[in-house]
Amino acid sequence: MKAAAFALALSAACAMAANAAADTSLPTGKGLPVVVHTAVSFIEIVSFNENAGTYKATVDLRLRWEDPRLRRPAGEANDPPKVYRGQPAQARTAEIWVPAVELANQRAKETYSALGLRIFPSGAVEMTRRVSAEFAAPFEVERFPFDRQKLRLEVAMRDEPAGAVRLAFDQSDLDFSRAGAGVALDGWSVGAVALRSDPIAGWYGASHSRVLAALDIARQPGPIVAAIFIPLFASLLIPLLAIWLNRIEDGRFTIETFELINLTVGGLFAVIALNFTVNAAYQPLSAGDNAVTRLFSINYGALGASLLINVLLSRFAVVERLAGRYVQEQLFYVLAWAVPAMSFALGAAVVLVAAI
Amino acid sequence: MTFRRSAPALLISIVAIVIAGLTFLSDRLFSGLTAAVEEGQFQLMQSILDTTLRRAADDALARAEIVAAMPSARQAVAAKDRDRLLAEFNEMFAIQKERRGVDQVQFHLPPAMSLLRLHAPQRSGDDLSRFRPMVVTVNRERAARNGLAIAATGPAIFGVAPVRDPQGNHAGTVEFGLNFGPLLDGLKAAYGLELALFMQEKQLREFATGIDPALLSDQNRVGPFMRIHATNRDLLRQLARDGDIAAVNEPARYTREAQDVPYGVLLMPLRDDAGQSLGVIAVARDFSGSRAAAGRSLVWQMCLAAFAIILLAGVVIVVLRGLLLRPLEVLDRRLAALAEGGQGGISEPSDRFCTEMQRLAERAGAIAAAAKGRAS
Repeated sequence: MKAAAFALALSAACAMAANAAADTSLPTGKGLPVVVHTAVSFIEIVSFNENAGTYKATVDLRLRWEDPRLRRPAGEANDPPKVYRGQPAQARTAEIWVPAVELANQRAKETYSALGLRIFPSGAVEMTRRVSAEFAAPFEVERFPFDRQKLRLEVAMRDEPAGAVRLAFDQSDLDFSRAGAGVALDGWSVGAVALRSDPIAGWYGASHSRVLAALDIARQPGPIVAAIFIPLFASLLIPLLAIWLNRIEDGRFTIETFELINLTVGGLFAVIALNFTVNAAYQPLSAGDNAVTRLFSINYGALGASLLINVLLSRFAVVERLAGRYVQEQLFYVLAWAVPAMSFALGAAVVLVAAI
Repeated sequence: MTFRRSAPALLISIVAIVIAGLTFLSDRLFSGLTAAVEEGQFQLMQSILDTTLRRAADDALARAEIVAAMPSARQAVAAKDRDRLLAEFNEMFAIQKERRGVDQVQFHLPPAMSLLRLHAPQRSGDDLSRFRPMVVTVNRERAARNGLAIAATGPAIFGVAPVRDPQGNHAGTVEFGLNFGPLLDGLKAAYGLELALFMQEKQLREFATGIDPALLSDQNRVGPFMRIHATNRDLLRQLARDGDIAAVNEPARYTREAQDVPYGVLLMPLRDDAGQSLGVIAVARDFSGSRAAAGRSLVWQMCLAAFAIILLAGVVIVVLRGLLLRPLEVLDRRLAALAEGGQGGISEPSDRFCTEMQRLAERAGAIAAAAKGRAS
């Protein structure tokens, strides 16, 4: 009992001594703000979920700052840095000030995390955190399927205002910030990592420092073009067939209107089914303006035009009543090539605009 | 030649030519707007850089004037007391260097002899008049100046102030030199610009004898220049090549694609107080927004032109053939039947023909009636 009490008292005394030695306050020795150099390296990209707007990845976050309180005596100036990994690093970070940065767009608890710490004789500290987790990534669909996306990592410092702690980066951080040699993502080409400062507005006019690291990925459009664009252009032929299949002899239509209307309505169902399928596979497409939604609009527009042409010209002969049989005949001939030409010109423009 | 084919072809060709011409002019107009926007961006980049360099020079001069006015500095410079100056200002310099990007502080004696370099106290007594004309001028004219120069420890933005002894006589000068690196990094953080500083290698090797040797390594050589600082080395290596910066006497502008992004690049020559060329600063900004807008505009203009041609061609065809040629064809058939001895009976209604055609149809009807009367 006595031994246990002694051990408890000893551990309490040790803890108090450790706390007394530890100085976890902001290092103001070099003035404020404390500059924390930030760099991010993408080690592995596991997946990119376009529908959820998230990606799973393993990243290395490197933070560098100076704490003059950790300077070693001049005699040790040329000594190698003290290196801590794993548990010792965790323990050491409890004893010194470390910037309380957070990965602001992390979606769930990390599946893996490791910590490394190097403290140089000059008082320079380098902390590297490896994190495997899911992160949110804003998904821009305007240029789909010729789009480039940014897999972002938001490194934010919300505990201290930018006047106290500032996240920054220099050439060394740019050199560190890149995708690892083995990083690959199916259907995408992996590019470079860019760093950008993007402060967050805080209370009472203050702001908080934030650095956005963005891995640039470019979609390989080939498979999408085959899977979505070819059906979309093919379905555009249905309303055009409903125009072409009609026949006019000496100013008189010879095909019953209801047969052509049946074809148009069938086309409508085909386009609706295709629309549903595409939206189920690529949910963000349904929300915004992009080449796919525009091509669907052209399809619906062409179906509407086909319906109007058949009903107004063939069924009710509106133009014949107003301007004569031969004007209607010539108008029909013109519409038979003008509607397809305009539909495909518009479709091509939509695709080109997305590709530029 | 048949009117049926040649008349619509002629009219449609004219329509197509006119619309194509208008589309071309419209595209030129929009390209002009895009160029004006980009020109504005270039001017903004130049203005930002000019202002930043000017403010830095003023900042350096303000520091120099503060020190020059301090009694302890005046006494020590007048007494040429290096140890006192070092004891007095060494800590100030250490703080300024660590926190404020002050790279160099130096006291001089007339005409331009180094009394003390706080950044390199072991080097003194050398004559700077050959490569520091600003120091010579300030000692001669006894009026403060600021500007760019290459000093023994490298290029910097300097402010030089005259120092008077306690009796008010000119005793020497003091200068503060600000490092370019933090300035360029600050511009990147504030405006998203990418910047690089290139200095003449010949002058660096001749004058900057105390510069970090790593800065003069082969990997930093760009033609006759050395890259001293870059906010994004890989990107700027593509945007500012040796051929681009080799002969920049005036601000130069161009656009170039790097890493699949179009950039606008501004090259600003740097000169010292005497107008001697020292180097070049390259500033780059992402122009993808304006370029993509111009491309999209061209596509939509071409699409609208195609629509206009199709619609107008349709109108030409419907009017010519529907109102003129097809009724003529009907009347021709009727008259042909008459000529062949038939009665030229009217099988198609002509009440929807235009007035002129109706008159013609009535004439044909009258001829047919007359023929019928003669036959009966």
